[in-house]
Parts: sequence; C-alpha cells; structure tokens
Amino acid sequence: MSKLTNLQGNRACVLGAIEAGCRFFAGYPITPSSEIAENMAKELPAVAGTFVQMEDELASMAAVIGASVGGARAMTATSGPGFSLMQENIGYAAMTETPCVIINVMRGGPSTGMPTRPSQADIMQARWGTHGDYSAILLTPWSVGEIYTETQRAFGLSEALRVPVVVAFDESIAHLVESVDLASAVSKKGMIRKKAVGDNKSFAPYAVTDDCIPPMALPGDGFRTHTTGLTHGEDGFPTQEPLAAERAVGRLLEKIRVNQSRIERYESSHCAGADIVIVAYGITARAACLAQEQLQAAGIQCGVFRPQTLWPFPELAFRKSIESAGHVLVPEMNAGQLLVEIQRLAAASDKSVAGLNRIDGENISPSMIVERVEAFLDE
Amino acid sequence: MSKENIPLTNNEDGADNFDIRDYLRLDLFPHFMCPGCGHGIAMRALLWAIHELGIDKNQLAVVSGIGCSGRISAYIDANTFHTTHGRPIAFATGLKLARPDLHVIVVTGDGDCLAIGGNHLIHACRRNLDITCVMLNNETYGMTGGQVSPTTSDDRFTTTTPTGNIEPAFDPCALAEGAGATFVGRELTLQCPSLKNLIREGISHPGFSFIEVLSDCTEIYGRKNDLGESAEMIMKQKSAYRSENYGLEPKEMFQPGTVSTGILHKGDRVEYGESLRSKGPAKT
Amino acid sequence: MSGIEIRFSGSGGQGLQLVARILGEEFSAKQRYVAISQGYEPTSRGGLSRADLVIGDQGKTSYPLVSRLDYLVILDQVAVAASKGLVHADTLIIADCERVTEPPSGAGKYLQLPLVKEALAAGTSRAVNIVSLGALVSCSRVCDPDALVDKISSSVPQRFIDMNIDAYQRGLTLGLDEKAV
Repeated sequence: MSKLTNLQGNRACVLGAIEAGCRFFAGYPITPSSEIAENMAKELPAVAGTFVQMEDELASMAAVIGASVGGARAMTATSGPGFSLMQENIGYAAMTETPCVIINVMRGGPSTGMPTRPSQADIMQARWGTHGDYSAILLTPWSVGEIYTETQRAFGLSEALRVPVVVAFDESIAHLVESVDLASAVSKKGMIRKKAVGDNKSFAPYAVTDDCIPPMALPGDGFRTHTTGLTHGEDGFPTQEPLAAERAVGRLLEKIRVNQSRIERYESSHCAGADIVIVAYGITARAACLAQEQLQAAGIQCGVFRPQTLWPFPELAFRKSIESAGHVLVPEMNAGQLLVEIQRLAAASDKSVAGLNRIDGENISPSMIVERVEAFLDE
Repeated sequence: MSKENIPLTNNEDGADNFDIRDYLRLDLFPHFMCPGCGHGIAMRALLWAIHELGIDKNQLAVVSGIGCSGRISAYIDANTFHTTHGRPIAFATGLKLARPDLHVIVVTGDGDCLAIGGNHLIHACRRNLDITCVMLNNETYGMTGGQVSPTTSDDRFTTTTPTGNIEPAFDPCALAEGAGATFVGRELTLQCPSLKNLIREGISHPGFSFIEVLSDCTEIYGRKNDLGESAEMIMKQKSAYRSENYGLEPKEMFQPGTVSTGILHKGDRVEYGESLRSKGPAKT
Repeated sequence: MSGIEIRFSGSGGQGLQLVARILGEEFSAKQRYVAISQGYEPTSRGGLSRADLVIGDQGKTSYPLVSRLDYLVILDQVAVAASKGLVHADTLIIADCERVTEPPSGAGKYLQLPLVKEALAAGTSRAVNIVSLGALVSCSRVCDPDALVDKISSSVPQRFIDMNIDAYQRGLTLGLDEKAV
C-alpha cells in the first residue's frame, strides 16, 4: 500500500536514513544541506538516536566514524566546502573499513562558490577526494523519492561492505518538494554488518575472506582489537612489510570490484536501437528523459542511460546500452567530469562523444538537451 | 613475546597487586619509545589507574591521534583506536555518545591536541562529555623530527626554529579551564603515583577531564637544547614545580618558572550525555 | 505538456515558499503530482527569491522544474530578469503595480495590481504573498478559491489568521475586478 507524502529532498534523506536504522548524526551547518541536520535534530531523539552539532566538518566526520566503530549506523551531511574538509576522515573510514554514510548536497564551486545554486561538480571529488588508492561508492538519486530510497541503500551498502558511501545530489533536488512513497522501504536483507564471532585470541580483524569483507568486532564484545589508519596487517597492527601492505590496500580495491554487482544500479531506457544515447545522472537525467520523449516524438531514436550508482561506474551495462548508437551525449552541471569517464569507456569505439555543460549555477533544461542533440546529430 | 620474557620491573612506586603486563599487548614488545622518553611512565600511570578503578578491559576504549603519543594506544590491551592527526577527541565524542557504557580515554600530545586539534579540545571542554583526555606534553613534534609546537618554551631550538622559538607557549590547563572543562589537572612523569592518582580522579569525574602530563623528549628536543639526559630533564621540571594542589587551593597558573600540579580546577556542571538524554524527543 | 507551471517571485522574505506550499497542498489533495522548487540568494532578506510549482497528472513523475510558465507572479523588480525565457504568449503575469516597474516582455497577458497596497490595507505589507495568491487564484481558477481558506489558516500563526484571510479575500477581489491587458 503506497502512502504518498509531499516532502522536501533534504527531509526525505533524513526519513530514509532513519528508516535504514541511522541512529547517529554529527554535522556542521552549511547551505544547502542544513535542513538535513535540522531534521535530524528533531527526528533522532524520537527513535533514541543521537544528534550532535560539531565544531566543524573535520570533527563531524570523526565523530561519525567514532559512533560507527561503537556499532551505531551513523551519517553526516554537508556541501562542497564541508565535503572538502571531510576527505581526511573519509580516507580513515576507507582504510579502517568503518561503515558510514556521507550526504553531499552539491552547490556551485570551487571554494565558497554559489552556496544556493545547484551543481554536479563534486562527482570526481567523491571518487578521488581523499589521498591514496581506494575505491569509492557514490549514489546519485534524481528525485525526492529516490533520495529516500537511495539513502537507505547507502546504509545497506556501507554496513554490508564496510565502506564509506557518499550520496550526492544537487541543490535543486535537495530543496525540491515533491511526492514520495514512504512505503518504499529498501530491503535490508544481506545488508547488515558482519559481526566478529568466535575465539577472541585468534581473531584477525582484517583477515582475507572470499568476498573481501572481514567481520567487524565491536568494543564490549571481548575482541579488544586495534584500529589504525596506518597500513595494517590482518591482525590490525601497523606494518610496512611490502607483501602485507600490498595485500591490505589491494583488498580495499578488490572489495569493491568483487562486490560490484551488489553495488551498481542503473536505468537504461530506449537504448536498444538508438542512434544517440544521453548519459545523465541526478536532476539532469530528468531533463534528459523529457528531452528523450520530445526527440522520439520528432522521429529521433534516442536512449537515456542513467547511473544511479555513479561510482563504481556500471561499465558493462553502459557499453551494452551504447551498442547501436553512433553518438553519446553527456549533459552535466559541471565543466565535463563524467564526460572524461565516458570518453575513456568509448575510446576503443568509433562513437562520437560530446558534453553539454553548465557551470553558471542554473539547471540544464530539457530544451537545451533537445537542441544539443539535434545539432550533434547534424555535425 | 610472552609474559615470562618480559620481566616485571620494580614496583617500588607502591603499585601493589598491579602487574602492568596484564594490560599490555605483549606481542608488540619491545615498544617503539626512545630510551628516556617520559611517555612510557605516563602509560604506566594510566594503566595503573585503570587497574585501581577495576575497569574491565573489554569496556575500555583508548583513542589516540598522531605522533609519539598516538602510538601508545596500540600497546594497550583494550579496544584501541589510532585515529587521524588532531581528531581523537572528536572521534571519542562520537564513540562515547553512541556507547555511553564504555570508558573512553583519549591519549594525545601537545601538537595533536593544541595545534591541529585545538578546536576540538576547546569544544570538548565546553560540551563536557564524559571523556578523559590525557595530553602528553613534550614540547615538540617528536615523531616528525622535532619541530616547534604550541608548548615549546621560549627561545628553544627546534628543526623549524633554528634561531630559537619566538612564539609564546600555551598554558594548556589554563586553556582547558577557560574553555569550560570541569576537571583540569597537571602532573610530572617524575611523580608516577601522583600522576596515577590524578588520572584516576579524572576518569572518575563525570564530565570532560583534561590532564596534562609533563613528559620529556630526550632524544630529539633534549639533545638539541642541551637539556641533558632524561633524568636531568625531569629533575629540571621538578625544580620548577610548585606544589601538589589536590586541595584546590588558589592557583597561580601563570607564575613564571613554576609549574602547578595536581587538580587545578574542578567544576560542577551536568555531563553532556546525561543532559542530552534527559531532553527527550522534540515536540512536533 | 498538460501540466501547469506557476512561479511566485520577488525578493527574499516575502513569504513566497509559503504560498507555493499552500497551493501545492491543494493540488496534492486532488491527487495531482506536485513539485515545488525554489531559488534564493544567500541572504535571508532581500535579493532574488522564487518558488515554482509544476503540477502534473496523477501518478506521473514529470520534469520537476519550470520551463514554460503558465502563471508568473512578480512582487519585486529584482525578480524580473530571472524569468526571461520562461515567459511565452500564453503566460499570465500578475505584478505589483508599484514595485515592478519594467515587467518581462513577451507575455500574452499582463496584470498590474496594487498587491502591496491591499496587503497594507489588510494590516501589513508582509501579507503581500497571500494577496497575490488570492489574485492568482481568482483570475486563473487553477483551483477552487474557497478550498484555500482552511489551508491558509493552518499555515500561519494563530494570531495572524484573520489578517491573512482578509488579505486573501482582498486578493480574490482584485483578481475578479481586473481584466488582463
């Protein structure tokens, strides 16, 4: 039985998180994500959860990881400048394999940029933001309803895979009020943290397992493990032994690769037989879908490929979706970030790839996409 | 290494029934600290206090940052977290809020706590969450080779003050008190039993406790400034030391050339977690 | 597109989000798809502010941002430029006759109404948002004017209910009296 409610994107994020079992939030106010903190402050105490406003984003991210190692499902929310500050401890979460969810409401950058304007310019930061080799997960919902469900999915992935998961959406959807089906809870089956069991003396907190996901010990369970951001061996203690170091970092990358089918999600519509495929995510994908309808009506065979999981990019599905197309268009509210990835993936083919970019703090409209597609096909 | 291979050093400091080996991860020995470093004494005092309080190791979380002080957590047989530079207090805040059942102790250094982590310290003092913060002050960044820190004394030579330090040092205890900490104390590594008592009091205090331990870095800072061997360095601290101040007498924390020790400040303010939980849900 | 696109625009602090929400609730109650988006500047007061409604058919999730406005309310000159390109021959513009000096060109219908003046008559210029809602509803009939009375009452503080209902009625009357040019 569906139950439709009109909600703001940022509030839908909070309700989705709480539905997913989030019981800890630490954050710092920043436009345009502040409503997430405000709603958390209101909602968490009602479910015996904890909200704390920290002194900055460095502390917020640290507190979230602290709560998570204690066993809580924990998250924070921020926007560009705050996301930059969080990179330090996102790396720590990746290295120590501590589950956590980070919401980044994208606004115009770089630096302070345009705080109240939409942007999609942080997707590469979500992929490469912290230093060192690691694999990131980035989810990019396109509607208020999907913010609700993808925030839930973010918790599931984060807990199950022991990785930080970033959910990024732009200011337009964050502040959009639209109908949401609150009955659309995402299944938690298989999406929980593996807990350490057995003998505490022989337990190796970073042992290699088939799925590359080690079980996690919690304080109080009697395992008394050590957690460090230093490169560590399977026992959790620092090591600089080359083989152990290679294994440790290698497994972080392998973990995402081995579990890619659990992580990736995409929509491919009208791509079979299409002459042109539009690759778009977030709010821009909604403009692309409307443009697709209008182009189809005008007799142009056009498909839309929409990655809901942007990182790791659903490579195989994308390659399949562009099989018939001679042209690939990538509209995005940045100077061409996903475009580089699409060019890389299409490099071996004879397909013509182009971007449609806006960096002026305004959305890409359906008519802009229609015009660009028509011009592109004429080129 | 097994327990038998690590002889118990003398317990002349009066630590009856306290076998430090019961609280250490002996497999990791020998430890990394330089001969003469005061950090080992501080670790002993901390574990001794934990022993006296009868704290279950399974319920103990030790959170450290980066630097020589940060490495100490690994040697303690508890739930230990070696976090990022400057962030152990913020990390501990999340852990303690999510798990009020745990005893959460932060071990940090002067650079970690007062420079890169200074913002977290003052806000933790203000919040008054029940965390014990033990700051090992050796006046330098030992791990990175001996650079100037926020507590380096006047005119001292470090690798980044080749002509002598011109920046005034923080008084960490005055800073913590000013920021609202409800328990502030200082002790020398020379006085291990007193340090143990101070840490014990700090852990027992419901609220944020800040404890400054005057440690020493003989290998780098001491040598560079011709301060002598470890024993000489800590005796010099003693010569500047004023009095045990457990009786909460009027304090003169800024007296030049002197160091007040003991409990320097105690405040009576409701603990943050308790306050938060007593608020209950917001009215809709 | 069979949907309706409405924009309330003016300067920050004029209560545009509130009227968009009130109107949106009425369409939701009629099982229509509603998307309300906003644009604002970092300051809480002054600067461009807008609240947009896209109303679609039941169950259909359409593109949620405006692209061709059916109705445009302008309460301050500062908001005019932002709507250029969204106005077309079928757009009805309702603008305050004092605060908007140069309306956007290209609209088929254009009403200049004393919205602020009526708000002052109701008690405060801050009620100009509700006056404009009344004027829009009465000349567009996008919904039943009576249906909004309860929604306004439940959306404003208790002590301002009477004043806002008065403002709304004044808006309705303005819309009835005026003919679009």
